[in-house]
Amino acid sequence: MVIIRLFCAAGMSTSLLVNKMKEAAKNKGIDVDIEAFPESQMDKNIEGVDVALLGPQVGYTLNKAKKICEPKGIPVDVIPMVDYGMMNGQKVLDFALKLAGK
Amino acid sequence: MSSSGTTLNEKVLPIVMKFVGLKGVVALKDGILFTLPLTLVGSVFLLLAQLPYQPLNDWLNVTLGAGWTDPLFKANGATFNMIALVATIGIAYTYAKNEGHEPLSAGIISFVVFILTTSSSVTTKSGETVGDVIPTAWCGGKGMVTAIIIGLIVGAVYSWFMANKITIKMPDGVPQGVVNSFAALIPAAVIVLGATIVYMIFKWGLQTTFIEWIYKVLQTPLQGMTDSLGGVLVMGFLIPFLWWFGVHGATIVSGVMSGILQSNTLDNAAIVTSGKELTVANGAHIVTQQFLDQFMTVTGSGMTIGLVVCMLFFAKSAQCKQLGKLAIVPGIFNINEPITFGTPIVMNPFMAIPFIITPMISGTILYFAILTGIVPPFGGVMVPWTTPAPISGLLTGGVRTAILQLLVLVMSFFVYLPFFKRQDSINLKNELAAQHGDNIQA
Repeated sequence: MVIIRLFCAAGMSTSLLVNKMKEAAKNKGIDVDIEAFPESQMDKNIEGVDVALLGPQVGYTLNKAKKICEPKGIPVDVIPMVDYGMMNGQKVLDFALKLAGK
Repeated sequence: MSSSGTTLNEKVLPIVMKFVGLKGVVALKDGILFTLPLTLVGSVFLLLAQLPYQPLNDWLNVTLGAGWTDPLFKANGATFNMIALVATIGIAYTYAKNEGHEPLSAGIISFVVFILTTSSSVTTKSGETVGDVIPTAWCGGKGMVTAIIIGLIVGAVYSWFMANKITIKMPDGVPQGVVNSFAALIPAAVIVLGATIVYMIFKWGLQTTFIEWIYKVLQTPLQGMTDSLGGVLVMGFLIPFLWWFGVHGATIVSGVMSGILQSNTLDNAAIVTSGKELTVANGAHIVTQQFLDQFMTVTGSGMTIGLVVCMLFFAKSAQCKQLGKLAIVPGIFNINEPITFGTPIVMNPFMAIPFIITPMISGTILYFAILTGIVPPFGGVMVPWTTPAPISGLLTGGVRTAILQLLVLVMSFFVYLPFFKRQDSINLKNELAAQHGDNIQA
């Protein structure tokens, strides 16, 4: 089970991406647990997570996010803008798995 | 990403985000959201009371008797005329909640302070003064700015007391509910005392009340400034400008401005319910909440529907073709994140031009259309921001507003077209260069 958490501003379109990522994982036969949260609630929703992704609209918070994630050994990065806009679940999933080293 | 984009991202964005992240700004824009269900539900009753088809209204008046709309206006009044009360509770509540303290007590104290600083008498049309009342005139749009000020101050002061533990402490074993009610005692006493002193200063010193004074010196000028071509252009610029950094501009600008814009809307609603004709000559505001929602962020910030249509019908690159299909449905419902990030528009200096000027042109057209009476000013009817055009225009303004809405959407197409063509050919070139499409330049 790979636990992926997406963090964005409010969660309107990120939830759409979450569904696309779950679809992609199902097609590949990978067991995943993906959820989206507002970026402001990162510290409360980071325990036991394998990889954290930031929406491009909150990409500027990467340094803050690294301070939360790095001590726990959780990889974190910003979702490439175009993949986010195109709602490319497949690519974002691969991006997450690569970050997580799985 | 270009180097100029990186500089902007590192230098300008932190300043913007510092403002956006200020405790007060967050509490204001999240707290005022509590008024949203009230204005939307109240709109439905107002719409039923004044259907956009006059012969039907006349027929109902004859069939049901002239007083049939009374319950509808009652429901409308109980929602529209309470939004300042709800806003002041919501803002103080949100402030305390974000600071991690028991929030409802803060909301209640804020409510009490609002009542305290409002006059408890009204003067009737015949000049008679009636006491022991809570004047609904001040609990709606006219009290909005005061509601915001009180909500923020109470939220901050209450949180300060809580954070510094200046509260009545209970021994272990006392139930949490009891502990909470005692914890709010000291901040409540201090805040109410402070508000009473404010009441005294305004009553004896200035022969007025806090709320009336704020209305005169702050709210009326703010409403006037917003209700101008300058106000239109500033809002039209700021929303896409913030989005260009990838920051949700509509939430921020609308959150901060909605207190004023809703006051303008409710002023217009009051003209309608008073039976006068809603015209600029009768004092109607031009720039209202609907002005922003239905003409400047329609189909999403930057009014990107024109770009989506370009992609649907004229795209050559695979990226634009697919994005057009992906973005059309959310776009109709005024959501456009796929377009802003997928084109991309964010941090793309070239696409910034149509993205910023389209809403400014649309706002200018609507401003002069209302000013010259080509379309009527907006009344009290508001619709959820996800309502598609031209239905949203029809419900909020009528047939002529809906037609104008369609016209500005066509305008959006022509503004975006040349920019789309260049972006599409850049994307196509990238696609040809990168065989597998893995290296598309962001």
